[in-house]
Amino acid sequence: MNDSKKNTGGLSIQKLTVLSLLTAAALMIYAIESMLPTLVPIPGIKLGLANVVTLIVLKRYGARDAFLVLLSRILLSACFFGSLLSLLYSLSGGLFCLLILWLVNRLLAGHFIFLTSIMGAIAHNLAQITVAFLLTSVAGVLVYLPFLIVSACLTGLFTGLCAHFTLKYLPRFENERS
Amino acid sequence: MNKLPSHKKAAIVLTALIVLLLLISLCSIALVKARAGKQALVAEIYQNGILIKTIPLYLVTENQTFNVTGENGAENIIEIRPGSIAVISASCPDKICVHQGFRSDSLLPITCLPNRLVIKLRTANPSDASAVDALTY
Repeated sequence: MNDSKKNTGGLSIQKLTVLSLLTAAALMIYAIESMLPTLVPIPGIKLGLANVVTLIVLKRYGARDAFLVLLSRILLSACFFGSLLSLLYSLSGGLFCLLILWLVNRLLAGHFIFLTSIMGAIAHNLAQITVAFLLTSVAGVLVYLPFLIVSACLTGLFTGLCAHFTLKYLPRFENERS
Repeated sequence: MNKLPSHKKAAIVLTALIVLLLLISLCSIALVKARAGKQALVAEIYQNGILIKTIPLYLVTENQTFNVTGENGAENIIEIRPGSIAVISASCPDKICVHQGFRSDSLLPITCLPNRLVIKLRTANPSDASAVDALTY
């Protein structure tokens, strides 16, 4: 046990494997979702299903591992499908979202994961529209804000429920918190 | 109330916050929609936050297309029709601006984030009419 920890920076081999597997799953979900046509012709509105994985890791393993998985997913997806600009949007949205997810999850002591998810989705959209505003310097893009908040509530609820039921049926591995 | 565990109280507060945010958003959508009625419209095309073109759409009599080019080969083809405007082709991968189609209300700007292009529609001012000469193409 201790030997395996030495080589992987404090992660056990098993945990590292599970986290890698979840990162790969998040990347697949992200890839498949980006192939779907957009339902609403408003930039920024999408399901954000990859966030299910972030929620699962946050709840099962904690904020540090969720950060690692999220960062790997964003950097890898930018390498495979994105551009520098989409990386900027994903990073700002993803990291601010994770910060809020972590805070709200602590506040709720791990209960009501769908509320955590909604707050995270709102945070994600807020961060992205702020970046859009900074990049275009057109105050008009802020008109999207109410639309993005409404969509965040719906998509956040959906991804939150997905995470809830996935957590219910996902087998637990050894060495897991909670 | 005091016997509730703190995470349940937090959940109630958060739910209230989310509902409040939703209500504010829905109200502001309704408000923006109500104000964006059928009026004489002027399209303003911004690139990198700079106004590069102003077109009084209510003065347009026949369909026209033109290109807006930007950094790194960014290109958007814009078509104007009497009273409406659309991006009909874009060099970006997601083409959200193209999917927004022809717009004839000031509700939402057409936005092409990869090419940093924003087309805002606003209602015409009296000063726009004096710009006719400059915009008779």
